Amino acid sequence: MKNQPINPSDIKGTVLNIQRYCSHDGPGIRTTVFLKGCSLRCKWCGNPESIAPKPELSYDPKKCTGKKCGLCLKSPFPVGAFYFVEGDDDKVRVNWDLAMDVDEALAALCPTGALEMFGKKMTVNEVLDEVEKDASFYRNTGGGMTLSGGEIMLQPDFSAALLKEAHNRGFNTAIETACNAPWSFLEKVLPHVDTMLHDHKLTISERHKKWTGVGNERILANFKKAYETFPEIDFIARTPLIPGVNADEEHIRAVLAFIRPHKNVIDYELLPYHRFGLGKYESLGVVYELDDYKTPSADLVAHLQAIIDEAFGRSGQKNSK
Amino acid sequence: MSREVGHAGFISRIAINVGAGYVPGMNAVIMGAALAAGKLGWEIFGIRDGFDGLLHPERYPDGGLVPLSPQLVENLDPAAGGILGQAVRVDPFQVRQVNQDGMVEEVDLSDDLLARLKAEKIDALISVVGNRGLSIFYKLHRKGLNTVCIPRSIENDIAATAVSFGFNTALSFTIEMLDRVRQAAQSARKIGVVEVLGAQAGWLALQAGIAVCADAVLIPEIPCDLHMLAARLKEKISPRRPYGLVVVAEGAKFVDSPQALADKPSVNPLKASLSPLATGDASDHVIQRSGQAAETVATRLQLLIAEETYPLVLGPWVRGGAPTAVDRQLGLGYGAGAIRAVRAGKYGMMMAFVPPDIKFVPLAEAINKIRTVPANSEFMQIARSLGICLGREL
Repeated sequence: MKNQPINPSDIKGTVLNIQRYCSHDGPGIRTTVFLKGCSLRCKWCGNPESIAPKPELSYDPKKCTGKKCGLCLKSPFPVGAFYFVEGDDDKVRVNWDLAMDVDEALAALCPTGALEMFGKKMTVNEVLDEVEKDASFYRNTGGGMTLSGGEIMLQPDFSAALLKEAHNRGFNTAIETACNAPWSFLEKVLPHVDTMLHDHKLTISERHKKWTGVGNERILANFKKAYETFPEIDFIARTPLIPGVNADEEHIRAVLAFIRPHKNVIDYELLPYHRFGLGKYESLGVVYELDDYKTPSADLVAHLQAIIDEAFGRSGQKNSK
Repeated sequence: MSREVGHAGFISRIAINVGAGYVPGMNAVIMGAALAAGKLGWEIFGIRDGFDGLLHPERYPDGGLVPLSPQLVENLDPAAGGILGQAVRVDPFQVRQVNQDGMVEEVDLSDDLLARLKAEKIDALISVVGNRGLSIFYKLHRKGLNTVCIPRSIENDIAATAVSFGFNTALSFTIEMLDRVRQAAQSARKIGVVEVLGAQAGWLALQAGIAVCADAVLIPEIPCDLHMLAARLKEKISPRRPYGLVVVAEGAKFVDSPQALADKPSVNPLKASLSPLATGDASDHVIQRSGQAAETVATRLQLLIAEETYPLVLGPWVRGGAPTAVDRQLGLGYGAGAIRAVRAGKYGMMMAFVPPDIKFVPLAEAINKIRTVPANSEFMQIARSLGICLGREL
């Protein structure tokens, strides 16, 4: 049988979540579509459920009814993947090493929903139909759809198809990316983007590798090429501020030196590190590697923000997020 | 890998490796295994840095496998650091790497690992591992690996063995440091609050606390009523004895009321084993969460009574140093015992010290359990007899 070309609307991708009424991920009121899978391993990551590209198991002990149920201790669940601790509370424990093979069908057997999967396969049309529900908000506020992650460049064909279809339906498009991907991936996606929010995490490549898993040479080259190849895109640089890692003047000034020559980089935002992701790490049984770190002080954030404001010729302080 | 090699007559080459997380005296285990294997005429190789020596031989110009000849091991210093090194993580099911597109990913190399062992004609593998490593080796055993595990744990929280390798050294060092803290507290007329390792099991805090006759020992198994603790310390501290010493396990829990106690599990439901994605440098995990328990207790006590407190964290310090006599013997015994297990074809086993014997227990019996301090344990009774406050009246 001859291979039929795939209709772009039927392309499937792995979606973590679709979040409506967002206001920080681009202009206006937006719907943010979080894609699953990331190409970095930032130790401060606030979305650990977005890291693995495949749907993965999560466990919420609050929903577990324990020994009254006990279903997950029996076949078809993997031997040893779930267990009780003698003489303790009535909650199941998860042996995450042995529970790796639990898939969506198995998790669905949990009657209370204590076991569920992070992420599911969706087609472009399924996603856009969900996004379209708030179309009136987008028209009134200049908003639209934002693709976030994970790293959206991990699914370049799906991301490109989503963004193209969003444009077809008249929605503004934005993406959040760290750009750790081959340029050929970015080339597919960027023609369909109105605003690109992109992370400048660390300046020195060796330190970038230590904290995120890879050096930053290709990332910086991608940023520069994107600024030059797509002058019509509004680029917004961002830095997640992590005390002891990158919350210092030197990094902020280095980023400013990198972006200011490019007039289509319209802003530089600071994202002070928070620990909102901590509970999610527990749900996944993942060790949070930055547990001992503190959030940056308000004074430090204000000081760094003032440097940015000065570089952008703004008087007064811009509120950081 | 075929299990048909599990007969004495067929064994010719075996290997040994060490899981993530250092405990003192690894060389003693390696010596024990290598000397016992040598006596049987077997070749024994050490795999460098967990499985890295096998999975990434290109990183080792001198070879990822170290021949452990009798001449080499006889000259090993049992007090020195492990000759084989350690990997950041020892989980062939989730090996982090950068792919050809320059993207970070985790891949399953367990089949590659078994193939590499087969290519090297390794008949069986002895591994020195902690709680999480046991689950990983259980999985590998179910895939066909002939494995015998040796339990190592600073916290002594591995089930099915009375003592894990490494605990006694940590205990001895902790006692020495608590003695020093007591002297400092005495001189400063303050209450020293010392945090020691023990996220889920309070053996280290309890046994060290007994040894130095601490005023209080707080362990994960007994959620602490800080008001009660404050009252007990107030009774003990006087102008003639104007200081105190409180030992806190890092996993200590606190209650504000009996109702709150009833609602909370006494063991963190999600930490009985760590996830395959628990990655990063070993040091990240060594210092994780350190200091929070001591800080909490010291701050709250200072607010509740008219005494000054100061928190100290021993945590990661106990992982270094020379092994004690007990750990040297245990290490040598476990190493030699593992060879006996291989000789008997007892695979999928963990070595266990069940006084007075060193035995083998199936890995299935050791995983998914944490060896916590039982409420009726002798140590608890001793502590109470000595007037040590355990954080809550029972």
